[in-house]
Amino acid sequence: MNGEMIERLLLSRRRLIKELQPHTTERKLEEEGGCGVVGFCCTEPVPAKHIYEPSMQMHNRGNGKGGGIAALGFIPAQLGVSREVLDDNYMLHIAFLDLGVRQTLQNKYISPHFNVVVSQKLETLDDWTTVDGLEAKPPDVYRYFVRVKPEVLDAFIAKNNFSGFTKSQAEAEFVNQNSIRLNQEFYASLGEQKAFVMSEGKNIMILKVVGYAEAITKYYKIEDLCAHVWIAHQRFPTKGRVWHPGGAHPFGGINTALVHNGDFANYHSVCEYLAERHIYPQFLTDTEVSILMFDLLERTYHYPLEYIIEALAPTSELDFDRLPKDKQFLYRAIQAAHIHGSPDGPWFFIIARSIPEEKAFQLMGITDTAMLRPQVFAFCDGEVQVGLIASEKQAIDATLLSLHKDDKRICPVAERYWNARGGSHTDGGAFIFDLKPDASGKMQMRCSDKFGMAVPMPSGIDACDFSANIKVGNGNIKNSIQQCFEKKTAADIFEYVSKNVQQWSFDDIRTACGVITEPAKEPRNTTTAIKALTLLNDRRYSTGSKKRNHVIYILRNALSRLFRNIPKFDSEGSSDNAYRLIDFDTRGLLRAPHAGETTLVINANGFTPEGDKCDAALLMDGYLNGWRHFICFNCIGQRFIGCGLGPETDGVTIDVYDSSGDYLGSGIDGLMITVHGNAQDQVGQIIKRGNLAIHGDVGQTFMYGAKGGSVYVMGNAAGRPLINSVGKPRVVINGTCLDFLGESFMAGDVFNGGGFVILNGVTFDDDGRMIPLREPYPGSNLFSLASGGAIYIRDPQQSVIWQQLNGCGFYRMTDEDWDLILPYLEENERLFGVKVDELLTVNGKQLTPAEVYRKVAPVKITALGKKTEAPTTEVEELTISTGE
Amino acid sequence: MVKENLPDNTLKTLVPQAEVPRVVKPAPPRYRNEIAKYIIRRSDNCRLCGKCVEVCPQGVHVLKEGYKYFAAPHQHVCIGPSCQVTGHYCVDLCPQKALRMVENPMMKLLGDYRWTADMILATWKMAETGEPPPPEYGYEYECGNSGGGFDRIRFKFPDKPPVELSADEIDTSLELNRRNDGRPPIRIDVPWYGGGMSFGSVSNVTQLSKARAAVAFNTFTCTGEGGYMERLRPYDDHTITQVATGLFGVREETIQRVRIVEFKYAQGAKPGLGGHLLADKVTSAVAKMRETVMGISLFSPFPFHSVYSIEDHKKHMDWIKHINRRALVSAKVSTPIDVDMVAVGIYSAGAHIVHMDGGYGGTGAAPDIAKKNIAMPIEYAIVKVHDFLTREGVRDKVTLIASGGLRNAHDIAKAIALGADGVVVGTAELVALGCVRCSRCESGRGCPRGIATTDAELAEQISVEWGSQRIINLYSAWRKDLVDILRRFGMRNVSGLRGRTDLLMHLDYNNDVEHKK
Repeated sequence: MNGEMIERLLLSRRRLIKELQPHTTERKLEEEGGCGVVGFCCTEPVPAKHIYEPSMQMHNRGNGKGGGIAALGFIPAQLGVSREVLDDNYMLHIAFLDLGVRQTLQNKYISPHFNVVVSQKLETLDDWTTVDGLEAKPPDVYRYFVRVKPEVLDAFIAKNNFSGFTKSQAEAEFVNQNSIRLNQEFYASLGEQKAFVMSEGKNIMILKVVGYAEAITKYYKIEDLCAHVWIAHQRFPTKGRVWHPGGAHPFGGINTALVHNGDFANYHSVCEYLAERHIYPQFLTDTEVSILMFDLLERTYHYPLEYIIEALAPTSELDFDRLPKDKQFLYRAIQAAHIHGSPDGPWFFIIARSIPEEKAFQLMGITDTAMLRPQVFAFCDGEVQVGLIASEKQAIDATLLSLHKDDKRICPVAERYWNARGGSHTDGGAFIFDLKPDASGKMQMRCSDKFGMAVPMPSGIDACDFSANIKVGNGNIKNSIQQCFEKKTAADIFEYVSKNVQQWSFDDIRTACGVITEPAKEPRNTTTAIKALTLLNDRRYSTGSKKRNHVIYILRNALSRLFRNIPKFDSEGSSDNAYRLIDFDTRGLLRAPHAGETTLVINANGFTPEGDKCDAALLMDGYLNGWRHFICFNCIGQRFIGCGLGPETDGVTIDVYDSSGDYLGSGIDGLMITVHGNAQDQVGQIIKRGNLAIHGDVGQTFMYGAKGGSVYVMGNAAGRPLINSVGKPRVVINGTCLDFLGESFMAGDVFNGGGFVILNGVTFDDDGRMIPLREPYPGSNLFSLASGGAIYIRDPQQSVIWQQLNGCGFYRMTDEDWDLILPYLEENERLFGVKVDELLTVNGKQLTPAEVYRKVAPVKITALGKKTEAPTTEVEELTISTGE
Repeated sequence: MVKENLPDNTLKTLVPQAEVPRVVKPAPPRYRNEIAKYIIRRSDNCRLCGKCVEVCPQGVHVLKEGYKYFAAPHQHVCIGPSCQVTGHYCVDLCPQKALRMVENPMMKLLGDYRWTADMILATWKMAETGEPPPPEYGYEYECGNSGGGFDRIRFKFPDKPPVELSADEIDTSLELNRRNDGRPPIRIDVPWYGGGMSFGSVSNVTQLSKARAAVAFNTFTCTGEGGYMERLRPYDDHTITQVATGLFGVREETIQRVRIVEFKYAQGAKPGLGGHLLADKVTSAVAKMRETVMGISLFSPFPFHSVYSIEDHKKHMDWIKHINRRALVSAKVSTPIDVDMVAVGIYSAGAHIVHMDGGYGGTGAAPDIAKKNIAMPIEYAIVKVHDFLTREGVRDKVTLIASGGLRNAHDIAKAIALGADGVVVGTAELVALGCVRCSRCESGRGCPRGIATTDAELAEQISVEWGSQRIINLYSAWRKDLVDILRRFGMRNVSGLRGRTDLLMHLDYNNDVEHKK
């Protein structure tokens, strides 16, 4: 597409707009607050019922006033058409709010221009009021499989001087312009909204309602409709009393569907930018401009995906400086041309596209450059591949579990979970799942970042056949483990299993789990069994050629079974049982512990994620009744676990399994929480005192405003960890952080009871061996404007540079520093097996602490404070950041 | 306060709640020579006959036994020119014609267009006596002189009240929980409560005085964002604790002890900026309370870093509601152009109170460039939000509170007539304590009245007893004024005044003649 062709395209739009005379560039009458988004793609087409689960999970991110789903990549027979028809024809989905206009609409906008191969009315239930979660009657939807009539297309090309365009480009433009006209007449102009185009692409369908997204699957009876790609959106609009489905997401463009979590601060500016190119929004929600932008960049400017992402989320500041020169040149040009169309404000997009020429599909997630919205990506590899993107990890886990129930080849634990670094030079803030058929026609999935770099996956290739029964073989396993039970040593079981897992088959592993959970039914063995399985779940060790996530799933399943076998309050369990199980149905039976009872085990499934009836509230009630030890399992996004127990909760322990939710452990004062997996967002805010250990990653704003606590994180933290902390938090993060680590940290003098963070910047390979990350901290704003405390970074290569700081300086490690942090590294070793000796080993050689760790600490800036005495640590090798 | 279901360790932190009687007692200025509107000059003609001492009922003139000259007069008790018609006007009665009355030149310097000198002195008088200042004093205090805001708004009083009511038939109380969500109702006796001023921005004594007055009037005060002083614990039941963007001093037990928790998203005087406590005010006591470093300025971030979207806000409020299963939640915001959107969002996220803070107030440390120059004036914002929430059908499920420069009962009544349920006051309470509105609050040792400082020496100037009485007296005077306004409209309760913009006129837009009393 050269400049001249772009001009002609824009001119054509100008003619269209002149004809339609929309009265205003802006049409934002409704306001978006925020919401929940989820999307997944699969190399096998899967039914709509699997988008049901994660949509349900995200109810607390929406308010039921709008929801929508999009699906791409259908099975032709399910739509009643042939493969050729599905691949070649545009699927126009028209939503009718008033069926009376259908004939008029068809006569004006369909029959004259299109060869309609098939036209269908989407089936629905008879009575919409019987569906839970619908606020208004959903629109009646007609689906037309169409191609533009050749003579119409020729006339269009001639009229607009589109020679030089491919037929398919011209056809796409025609379809788009026709939809704009249709929407203008039947939806966007003054008066009542009657009908609008919901989607206009090949092999793609969008449906949206005034209600919760999952209600769509029920009302339109598509629970069994299969597709390769599904996305869903739960809306939280706040203004306007009459809700229109047209305002809900997804918004569609040619072959594209987009959902958005967030808010645009510069809607007006983006509208102006679009108006300059003769594009005007027609629906009432600001999200629409993002799809208009995407379509413009893709179909008018023909940018490759990397440029589109850069135009939407420009790289800036230090990340820009760290790009290679040729990228800087290119990105600078893109920014100069398109900055005014870049949406500002918190946003996270999930975009699904069909690429009919290649019979391929794409699912991508793009985050804004400040990473102000939560986002998690996951990939599940194997015979069937699944890529997932969501606002919360627990929605991903719910989807995988749902898929697994139908297809045992899909493991409920993904290979990898990660976050994107918005606007970065490291991954560009975007990840894309590509589904393309290989030579034999089988779909293959690849995951890459904005720059096209493939996301590395664990190397295990052997999958467990979850559908088959276990073939119990090896009698040794049973004997060895039983001996350990005699000695009551969970550590021995862990040693035994972890050493042998490499050689064992999946059946062996499942056998072993069975051998561990069986004796657990006897009270004297329960603790040993729980500890052993927990260690196996938490720690890293080689699984040989077997997929690690499959092993993890087996272990977690075993733990779940074990917990569910624990006697409830209403069972005649043996009186010497230290554990009691409670779930949603028996929650009313909660009582104080009897003699010998120590631990309340809460099955979180069935509890709401928040509110009076959530499991975190039950935990509080348990504490008020006298329980001091808790296990929470089967969590699917439950929030506030460990919150509300009040001051001085020393001696209380909470162990959390599965997919816990946001705000875990916020405000604790003395108790100990251990998360046996990844944690989500806003974990550990305002912690006063206590212990928190996370055997995985944590999400956004970790320990915001924390005042103390001893905290250990096995993996990474996301954006803005430990900001505005005061007092004396002491934290070890073994991985890295996205950005803004320790901003406005105010935690005193480290040698006088103050706080600090130790950032190790390491990860673990498939065999559980420690390997340093490419850089321990890739972001900027490290310890920005901190006035107290320190960060100790493991950085033997001195890769962190002063430009990444803001108001702090590098200090040399002294013996006093090392004496201060060593106990924490030792505890880190005890919890996670991350050996201090290994941390001090660089390229096979053990070095001194000062050669491996660097200290980042505040420099007294006179503008911020009064003159005080000089810092007590001796300052050598001081590099002061001049800041910006 | 319902205290069931609180963890034992929180219960242990509870102390018996103080009782403070709602009694007006004289609280004269703490200085012998407070600032006065009129001063009497004495010439050398004076023969020390003592006639002036004899005739003045206020006791302005001071002649001590055995002294050769008069002592400095008590200027601030002189009622000024209106004394001329009383028959004890010292100027006329002085046989030597040695006395002359002039307006104090300081009147030209004291205050500003919003808090005029008259307004300040009238507030002092109310704080001293518990009554609206007698007309003889000649204070023009119902309105200021700013040429905008509430100063251009007047009530259209009828010639006669449509219904004759006596003062004790009139109810000024306000219910704060209109959500019907199972959380306890909270009814305050007057339609206002005290604004958040943190320990660090103001002294211990200031906070305690505000708290004690709140108890006396069965209303609330607010801790501000600097943490919860231990000395405030006897006032838990009448204290709102604030969760602000720096999360200073926020702990589970402080949240669990109170009946209302306030989320401070923004302050009207400086939208887009967070809290500021400059270095000189971060004394060792303040640093200890907030667990930060002494002598280093504290800036709270502008947004809550964990809240960037409506569902984040809901999560945030759910968190607090989870920790305290009985508390009401309030969200304090400034007034951007889409304040109606903000308000309905806050409501839909689960708040009981939407607290809009306009730009006329001024946190002491708001930078000049931000003060009063940003966001929508509160008198427009109230109407916009009230109308919008009514159209949305949720107006009676949420309590709308307005604040920002509300100086007296007339401003309060106007705010309610515009559409608010109640208001929050800030500066006025400090003026009651003797503040002269010099706007040096951000400097630690610069507060001449020892109010906006934690410097021990300066703060010592005020005793808790005196400070509490001053605010109690002020509230008392205000209530009398408010009751009088309602009486003139024949209204039995203050909720009848809400949204009655038909009873208001704006001098810029109406040419109605203002009704005189």
